Amino acid sequence: MPPEIKRYFEVYVRASSSGKSKPYAIREVKASHIGQLVRISGIVTRCSDVKPLMRVAVYTCEECGFEIYQEVTARVFMPLFECPSGRCLTNRTKGNLILQLRASKFLKFQEAKIQELAEDVPKGHIPRTMTVHFRGELTRKVAPGDVVKLSGIFLPIPYTGFRAMRAGLVADTYLEAMSITHTKKKYEDYELIGDEEEQVARLAEDGNIYEKLARSLAPEIYGHEDIKKALLLLLVGAPHRKLKDGMKIRGDLHICLMGDPGVAKSQLLKHIINVAPRGVYTTGKGSSGVGLTAAVQKDPVTNEMVLADMGICAIDEFDKMDELDRTTIHEVMEQQTVSIAKAGITTSLNARTAVLATTNPAWGRYDLRRTPAENIDLPPALLSRFDLLWLILDQADMDSDLEMARHVVYVHQNKESPALGFTPLEPSVIRAYISAVRRLSPSVPQELEDYITSSYSSIRQEEAKSNAPHSYTTVRTLAQHSSNIGLARLRHSETVTQSDVDEALRLMHMSKFSLYSDDRQKSGLDPIGDIYSFLRDESETTGKQDVIYAHALNLISRKGYSEAQLKQCLEEYANINVWQINPLSFDIRFIDAI
Amino acid sequence: MVGVAYDCLANPLGAVRSTFDKAIASGSDPASFDGRDWGAVDLFRNFLYDDGGLSQVPILNSANIRWVQPNTLVRFRGMIQDMLGNEFYVGAYKDGSVWRTNKFTDAPQFPVDSTPDMRLWERRMLYCTPVPGQNSWAESSNAVMYASMESGTQQKEKRPRVDAEATDNMDYDVSDNGIEGSPSTKKLKENGHSTQQSITEGTSSSMIMAPDVNSGSLPCLIKIYDCLESDLKLNEVFEFVGVFTFDSEFKEDKDESDDFTNGFSEDVLVHLPPNKVPRLHCFIHRKLAVHDFLPCSPTNEPKPNLVKEIRESLLRHLTAVLGNDGIAANFMLLHLLSMVYSRGGTVAVGKLSLNLTCLSRESAPVFGTQLGLALKNLLPFTQCISLTVDYLNTASLAPRKDYETSRLITGALQLAEGSHVIFDETRLEAGILNSVGVENARLLKTLIELQKVEYDFKFYKLDMPADIQMLVLSEGKSNILPADVVLPFHPSSVASAEVTAEALEAWRWYLATLRSLPHSIDSELQKVIENDLVAARQEDRTLGTQDFSRLLTMGRLMSMSFGETSLSLEHWQMVKELERLRRERLK
Repeated sequence: MPPEIKRYFEVYVRASSSGKSKPYAIREVKASHIGQLVRISGIVTRCSDVKPLMRVAVYTCEECGFEIYQEVTARVFMPLFECPSGRCLTNRTKGNLILQLRASKFLKFQEAKIQELAEDVPKGHIPRTMTVHFRGELTRKVAPGDVVKLSGIFLPIPYTGFRAMRAGLVADTYLEAMSITHTKKKYEDYELIGDEEEQVARLAEDGNIYEKLARSLAPEIYGHEDIKKALLLLLVGAPHRKLKDGMKIRGDLHICLMGDPGVAKSQLLKHIINVAPRGVYTTGKGSSGVGLTAAVQKDPVTNEMVLADMGICAIDEFDKMDELDRTTIHEVMEQQTVSIAKAGITTSLNARTAVLATTNPAWGRYDLRRTPAENIDLPPALLSRFDLLWLILDQADMDSDLEMARHVVYVHQNKESPALGFTPLEPSVIRAYISAVRRLSPSVPQELEDYITSSYSSIRQEEAKSNAPHSYTTVRTLAQHSSNIGLARLRHSETVTQSDVDEALRLMHMSKFSLYSDDRQKSGLDPIGDIYSFLRDESETTGKQDVIYAHALNLISRKGYSEAQLKQCLEEYANINVWQINPLSFDIRFIDAI
Repeated sequence: MVGVAYDCLANPLGAVRSTFDKAIASGSDPASFDGRDWGAVDLFRNFLYDDGGLSQVPILNSANIRWVQPNTLVRFRGMIQDMLGNEFYVGAYKDGSVWRTNKFTDAPQFPVDSTPDMRLWERRMLYCTPVPGQNSWAESSNAVMYASMESGTQQKEKRPRVDAEATDNMDYDVSDNGIEGSPSTKKLKENGHSTQQSITEGTSSSMIMAPDVNSGSLPCLIKIYDCLESDLKLNEVFEFVGVFTFDSEFKEDKDESDDFTNGFSEDVLVHLPPNKVPRLHCFIHRKLAVHDFLPCSPTNEPKPNLVKEIRESLLRHLTAVLGNDGIAANFMLLHLLSMVYSRGGTVAVGKLSLNLTCLSRESAPVFGTQLGLALKNLLPFTQCISLTVDYLNTASLAPRKDYETSRLITGALQLAEGSHVIFDETRLEAGILNSVGVENARLLKTLIELQKVEYDFKFYKLDMPADIQMLVLSEGKSNILPADVVLPFHPSSVASAEVTAEALEAWRWYLATLRSLPHSIDSELQKVIENDLVAARQEDRTLGTQDFSRLLTMGRLMSMSFGETSLSLEHWQMVKELERLRRERLK
């Protein structure tokens, strides 16, 4: 009796370093890997049924009654017909053998095809495929569409019989699977591979990581630094909170970008999706609410929003979306679930997603003479769901035009984009860093709570004071709190600091400023005078004659003024000798003695 | 090295073996030959290029495949349509005490026992098809070449007929891809059928079974040895020189082993049986540019005055074709010279798609067909796609992967670099697009905007860069295909243009050669251009980077059309003038 028939365990070999070294792409597995243990990553495209594979065939002899065992090592075997037992041989009876299915040993066997992942395919090539064999407990572990990492032995199967003669000397190859790891695309499950951990640690040390990351988002898109910072916060988010009474507090930020056509909104969106490990990009025109949320079918299909669970859902041309479909998004944005009540099924699916939307102005281009609410063609109820609204305008100034003309000429002349002046971080590094920091759950220290509440209430008061007919509805503690935590996460810190709060406030102001700057000018306030008085106040409260430029910028940004206005102010007042400006750092020094 | 022991042309495998034996004799270890050459390729490179043997090698096409002997040296020109992955084969083995090789062949020369001394090597398999939309003139030149070199066989008198058939087939193919339009192509269609039938009857007595040439196009499975992966890309056009194998006696083996595998793990080759698709074991491959398809190539440098002359005559011809619309002809010339020469980030620099508007239902067939025919005579690869709601809803434009057969199913937009496509939108009527139609419209839009086609791999999509000149004919400005240049078309007369063969050849040469000229803008002119652009934008806020980019592309093409390599102020002024005239028309 062969030992195989009594064996009740399966042996698998696992590469010891699995999880750390980068798995091979299928095209990297070469003839020299035959017979070796390799780790590959790919997407399962086809799976066969699980079939029994005979390992030991058991026969009984009609003549002598002996049990005959035959071990099967290949996929094809020649059954025995004559009894090889000593008794039959000596009697020369040629005993007839009958295969005993119940006594034979079978093994579960499944075949699958895996294909290279999109990111492993070089430009201009077709993804390669490979056959994988699963045995025993490894069967039924994969389904088409799964992204998996496999380790296994790369083996050739020589053709047998007639085919071998025809096919000459060609061998088929397959991977005898030894272990399967499903790749999950959630941030929380993102595995750091290779030296990424080290890189993330190094980035966390870097004091300037916030700026660096922001610049590395869509590096080919010039400017828009604050928007990129806001998008970074959207990527990072804050942890979800579930209160005791079952109420959920979302941590994701929703951002809506609006602006003139051709200001690279869509490209920003696509880049964000590229960076996010899990994201869905759609255009408002091309998707229905059913497509975006979930449809009830016999087999409930998880759709885009659900697909983007714990990820990002980017919706381009949000305004073009059907009115009915937009209403389904309300729920997703606030409750972070998709409820279905159709065809006798009532269920709610998790859709913990951050929504990033872009819209075009109602009349094609932003009309400065009209109010923002008129320009934005979205119902206020939906608008208020967005934590940050951003208006990107195509400003008509000579410098930016020249910049643009130069850029285009450069591209045509040198056949490449101009150097960026810095090396942007790779999307994979950004992804790794973000997934690393998303595991943090920063807390707000006691002493900051007062600061936050006071700053928040001052905003509310300011809003109440202003006689604008529409209040900036999206300034909410919740979103602000999320931003604070997001910023702390970005610094790779467990606690929120005052600088985080300031920065979050600044971003919020900048977003507001992009929308309402023109009202401010119209209402007769003099921004230059305002900035001067702010700076003056600051100098007096600190009791110093110097105001650092960065600090000044931060200060006035929080009040909703732009950097250009600050510069203008600096220049004007320097001309009348109120202060001196350091020509290099732009730091301010008041001339008059205190 | 002594002279060649074997005839490279008739017995290339003998040559391979002799070099292998020589290499072994000189003490090399066969294991070290994996993934590299031992001198066989050098031998053929010498033979083909240094000794001028290339022109003696027949070009494989559907006409001559019946006569080309297996295991001889042939050439194949085609586009890489699909990549089938790697094949592992026993590259070297020990037969007794002698090392043998199986490189460049399908079947072993000597029987192979399972010896322990076997080396598994790999080769890549590429599925190549004739270039989609290849015009007969680009094809016929090859057939003529073949006819002139073929060593005497008894079929000599048959050949002209077959050549005619080959070209007919080409035409048939083209018209099939395009609109079922002009009556002339229909006639060709019938012709193609009848000649084809007679040929098949005529050769039925022949020993070698004819491959499936009904489609008129001959695919070929190319096996590539030892070369960098990045050398060969999808949709590129190559000329392969290698050993031809074609197994006409192959029978489908429906033996029991397939039952075991459940028809699942079978290799892709089952769908490409060797009696349908010839194999070519490639020694040398060479990327072909558009000018390699010219019948005769006056390889001399473009002389300024000659180029100017050709430019003038071509412009006159285009003006005549376009019903005396000079501005349209000027834009058409620039359009025909355009090609993508760099991709910076998200933009493809150098493309210039053209949209001729104001073509009514009546004028479209007149000028559309005339233009189509003219372009067919000028460019090697042209296609014409008539966009109707029905077409958009049913056509498969993007290639997609079929996992049942592990093959890439081609789509109408899988085209070689430098192809020209006319999209005729004049027959587009109001209607409802279904999901396929919406997807197709999106594909067309990304193609014209970014010169990229999204290939559908079911689980994900891959962007493949494309370089396709796109001409859109429409009534109003096309919404599906937002072209770079939108020009209302104002014809004044209908004239049929008579052209001489020499003029055609000169024009083909002009269009093929000039587009690859280098180009630069000197710094002084850069300043001028920058200021012009800024001024234009101050005037009209709607101008964006795309418009700037288009103007610069036009500048480049304009100077190129004069055979010059740097932009001059004069040409820049011409571009601005053209643009002004265009804007006037748009008002």
